[in-house]
Amino acid sequence: MSEAQTPAGPPVVSLKKINIRYGNHHAVRDVSLDIARGEVVAMVGPSGAGKSTLLRAINMLETPSSGTLHVGDFTFSLDHRLSQKELLALRRSTGMVFQQFNLFPHMTVEKNISLPQMRVLGRSRAEADKVTARLLERVHLADKAKAYPARLSGGQQQRIAIARALALDPKVMLFDEPTSALDPELGLDVLEVMRELAADGMTMIVVTHEIAFAAEVADRVIVMADGEIIEQGPPDQVIRNPQLPRTQKFFRAILDRH
Amino acid sequence: MSGLLANWADWLPQLWKGLLISLQLTGAALAAGLPLGLALALLTSARTPWLKWPAIALVEVGRGAPALVVLQMVYYGLPSAGINVSAFISGALALALTTGAYTSEILRAGINAVPKGEVEAGHALGMTPGDVLRFVVIPQGVVFAVPALMGFAILIFQATALTFTIAIPELLARAYRIGAATYLYLDVLILAGLVYLAITIPFGWLVNRAARRLGSHLG
Ligand SMILES: Nc1ncnc2c1ncn2[C@@H]1O[C@H](COP(=O)(O)OP(=O)(O)OP(=O)(O)O)[C@@H](O)[C@H]1O
Ligand SMILES: [Mg+2]
Repeated sequence: MSEAQTPAGPPVVSLKKINIRYGNHHAVRDVSLDIARGEVVAMVGPSGAGKSTLLRAINMLETPSSGTLHVGDFTFSLDHRLSQKELLALRRSTGMVFQQFNLFPHMTVEKNISLPQMRVLGRSRAEADKVTARLLERVHLADKAKAYPARLSGGQQQRIAIARALALDPKVMLFDEPTSALDPELGLDVLEVMRELAADGMTMIVVTHEIAFAAEVADRVIVMADGEIIEQGPPDQVIRNPQLPRTQKFFRAILDRH
Repeated sequence: MSGLLANWADWLPQLWKGLLISLQLTGAALAAGLPLGLALALLTSARTPWLKWPAIALVEVGRGAPALVVLQMVYYGLPSAGINVSAFISGALALALTTGAYTSEILRAGINAVPKGEVEAGHALGMTPGDVLRFVVIPQGVVFAVPALMGFAILIFQATALTFTIAIPELLARAYRIGAATYLYLDVLILAGLVYLAITIPFGWLVNRAARRLGSHLG
């Protein structure tokens, strides 16, 4: 899809030996992963594999116990606690889209997208609203600027959430099952926006059960199980011709469901 | 019966003046007590121990001690600390402390009702914790708390009657004064009770309406 088939230049995201524990439960085990500029990575795997946990470690919504995390211009060793400043810098270079949208229900669509720009990037209201208008065009919801989120369909809310994250010019967009809370038809509009985003060269990591989307849009598919990456490669190889029996079983189960 | 009504008509202007003072006390207690309650709600959830524990202590004392005791402590305590203020200020201050302690719990419940996912979204956007509180959590948490806060406002309005013990000429104090002059204690207290009800009952309806409207917004 993008020009990143042959990764060139330094990775935008680089994880080295990331470990995440919940008490005794070792949710992510020694995971290392490099993602190139413009690359679109689909992350799949059975429930409880640690996909969300790993994704949320990239902007430190989860705190790894060890490892090194590199995003954009920042590299952090996770053996010690990040300072507030480091944390904010890291989060400014990532955009995240949640399964449940998580728009701010007491703000209009426009304010949802403009306020973070003003607070986080220090843009003036006029500047922010201009960016917001452009992004609303981009997610095909230009007429909803003054609406409140509750008046929008789930698919529309999710596209607003994407615009809100994009407005901060992230280096990488993180998606955690962005269409799982939506009826299949409503999910289509969201997937279409994501497809356009990928075509525009955005670096994206997408946790998803939409295998068709992964096959079409992703440059690379990563399969996780039990806190580890067990298999990865181009979608043609991983989805159509998986190597491990465990991966074969996983894709067969998903395809059977459809 | 007509004697009673004639007396009531005589007394009503006095009680009306008292009611105005009761309402002013309520307004002052809420104006100072609600920001205090919000501050205490945030501080009791703070991670820093030296912010958290004093706030918890203040809330526990404010809720645990009878409002009358708080009132007397402020009224007699301030002068002995060299601070001389009017009885009205003492009364308002004491009621504000009680308001702060109680509403901190109400506001904390409202704040906790703000979905965690929205807080996470704010953090993921790179907003500072202070900005997440200011723009995401507090505006919604306070709105969630409005019905319970209105219910509390009725209680604190009733509690202004306690200030007759520190000689503030509010509604109950004036009723007593009339009682002492006429020995018609029961008659005047009934009238005073009716005046309290004339405020609390319509306000109670408003509380219910607010709760229903909020419920339908959330649902
Ligand atoms: N806050 C938490 N406390 C304790 N355990 C957790 C917590 N969050 C996740 N886990 C555990 O960590 C493991 C990985 O969870 P995670 O949510 O990352 O899985 P997932 O691959 O995203 O699954 P799904 O497809 O169901 O979303 C699971 O066993 C889960 O129970
Ligand atoms: Mg998950």
